[in-house]
Amino acid sequence: MIKLPAIHRFLENLAYPSVLFVLSVVFWELGARLGWFPSYLLPAPTVIFERLIKTVGLLSHHAVVTSAEILLGFAIAVMVGVLLAVVIVFVRAVDRAIYPWLVFVQVIPKVALGPLLVVWLGFGFLPKVLMAFLLAFFPVMISAMIGFRSIEKDALFLLRSMGAGQFKTLLYLRLPTALPVIFGSLKVAITLATVGAIVGEFIGANEGLGYVLVTANGVLDTALIFVALTWISALALLFYGAIALLERSFVRWHVSHRILTELSTG
Amino acid sequence: MKIRSIRQPIMASLESEDMHIEMRALTKFFGVGVGTMKVLDNVNLTVRNGEFVSVLGPSGCGKSTLLMILAGLVLPSSGSVSVSGDIVLRPLTDVGIVFQRDLLFDWRTILGNVMLQADIRGLDRKLSREKAVSLLETVGLKGFESRRPWELSGGMRQRAALCRALLHDASVLLMDEPFGALDAITRDQINLDLQAIWMREKRTAVLVTHSISEAIFLSDRIVVMSPRPGRIACEVEINLPRPRTVQMRDMAEFIGYQAKLRESIMH
Repeated sequence: MIKLPAIHRFLENLAYPSVLFVLSVVFWELGARLGWFPSYLLPAPTVIFERLIKTVGLLSHHAVVTSAEILLGFAIAVMVGVLLAVVIVFVRAVDRAIYPWLVFVQVIPKVALGPLLVVWLGFGFLPKVLMAFLLAFFPVMISAMIGFRSIEKDALFLLRSMGAGQFKTLLYLRLPTALPVIFGSLKVAITLATVGAIVGEFIGANEGLGYVLVTANGVLDTALIFVALTWISALALLFYGAIALLERSFVRWHVSHRILTELSTG
Repeated sequence: MKIRSIRQPIMASLESEDMHIEMRALTKFFGVGVGTMKVLDNVNLTVRNGEFVSVLGPSGCGKSTLLMILAGLVLPSSGSVSVSGDIVLRPLTDVGIVFQRDLLFDWRTILGNVMLQADIRGLDRKLSREKAVSLLETVGLKGFESRRPWELSGGMRQRAALCRALLHDASVLLMDEPFGALDAITRDQINLDLQAIWMREKRTAVLVTHSISEAIFLSDRIVVMSPRPGRIACEVEINLPRPRTVQMRDMAEFIGYQAKLRESIMH
C-alpha cells in the first residue's frame, strides 16, 4: 500500500518538471507562429505532433527494426561481457593475455569502425547489431570484472570452509556482490547500444530510425527529423526504464535502493 | 562431511585418542625478501575433543593467522596441523567459523544467511531450516528470520553469524575475535548464549580473543601468546564450575585468573 504522503511527494516531484515542460512548449509554439525562427529550422510543436500522428504506421516499422538492433546488440554485449569477466577473473592466463588487448581495443573509437563493418557485412541488419554490441560491451565487462573481484577475503574463506569450489563461490558470493555494479553498467550499456544502432544506420542502411533521420536530413524535412528524434528518445527511455525496473526487483537489498524500501514499508 | 586430506600413518593412533586438534612447530612468515615478517614462531598447541580453548594475546600477535592456519585457509611456512588425526592440507570443511566481521550477505534474509551453510553443502533443506529456526530462537532472534542483515544491530548480526557456524553440526567451532566490536552488555549476553550452546552440543571450540574476561568466562583452557612473532607464552587451565554466570566475575578465583593472565600478557 502506498500511503498518502508518498503520493503527495510523487505528484509534487512531477509538478515542477511538468510546469517547465508546458511553459517551454507554449513558448516554442508562440515563437514558431510569430515567426521568430523559420519553420525549416524549428517547426512548431503542433506541426511536429501532427506529423508524428500521420507517420505512426511508417515509423513504427522503422522503430521495430532499430529496437531489434539495439536489443540484440545489448543482449550479446551483456552475455559476452559477463562471461568474459568470469573467465578473466578465474583464469589468470586469459586475464594476462586478453585484458591488455581489450583495453587497447576500447581506446579505438568504435564509431570509426563503421565503414569497415559495412564493407565486411553489407548494409543489412548485422553491422548495426555489431556496432551496438561494440559500444555496449566494454562497460559491462569492466563492471562485471570489478564486481566479481570486489569480495572480502574472509567471505571467500567462509565459503571455502563450507566446501565451496570456484563455481559455488561464483554463484553464492561473486555474482550477488557484482549484481549492483553490473546493473549500473547495464544502464550505461543500453544507452550506448542505442547510439551504436543509430550510428550504424547513419553509415549505411535502408531502414531504421537512423535511416529516417538521414533521409529527412537529405530533403530538409525538419519536422520528420523531430519525429524520428521523438521515437528514438521514447525507445531509449523505454529501454532504460525497463532496466531500472529489473534492477529494482533484482537488487532491492543493495544500499542504493534501501531508502525506497524503507519509505514504502515505513 | 569428511575432511579431504591425507591420513597420517601411525601418529594418530598412538597419541591420546581424545586429541582433536594438534598443531606442531607452526611457523609462519609473511612477505618475501627484505620485507619478510615472522608472525608465528614454533607454536605447539593441542586441543582435546570437546574442549573450549581460547587463544589470548595482544593485537598483531598472529593469533588470527594461527586460527586461519588451523582452518586450512592459510598454509604455514613450516610445521603441521592435524585434526582428528588427518593432516590439514586444504580448507577444513568439518568446521564452523565465526569471523571478526559477521559477513552476513545483504541479498539474503537472516534465515537465508544461516541457511547458506546448508545451501552450499547441499544439506537437506527442510531439516536444516528447522535447525536454523531453532538456533535463531536460542540466540534470541525469533521473529527476525525474514529480516535483512542491515535491519539488525551489530550484536544481533553476530548472533546470526554464530547460528550459521553451528547449523551443520561441525565437530570444530572456530571463532576469530567474533565479539570484539560489540559493547560490553551485548558481549556478556552473547557469551552466555554461546556457553549454553556449547554445553549442550559439546564441540571442540577455539576462540581467538583479546578480552581476558571473555576468555576466562568461556574457556576450559587459555593459551597466552606473546607479541610478534607469536609464541605460546603460557597456558592456564580454568577450573570454574559450569554453567558460569556473569556474577562469577566478582569471585576471588575469577579475579585471580584475571591477574595471572594480565601478568603473563604483559611479559
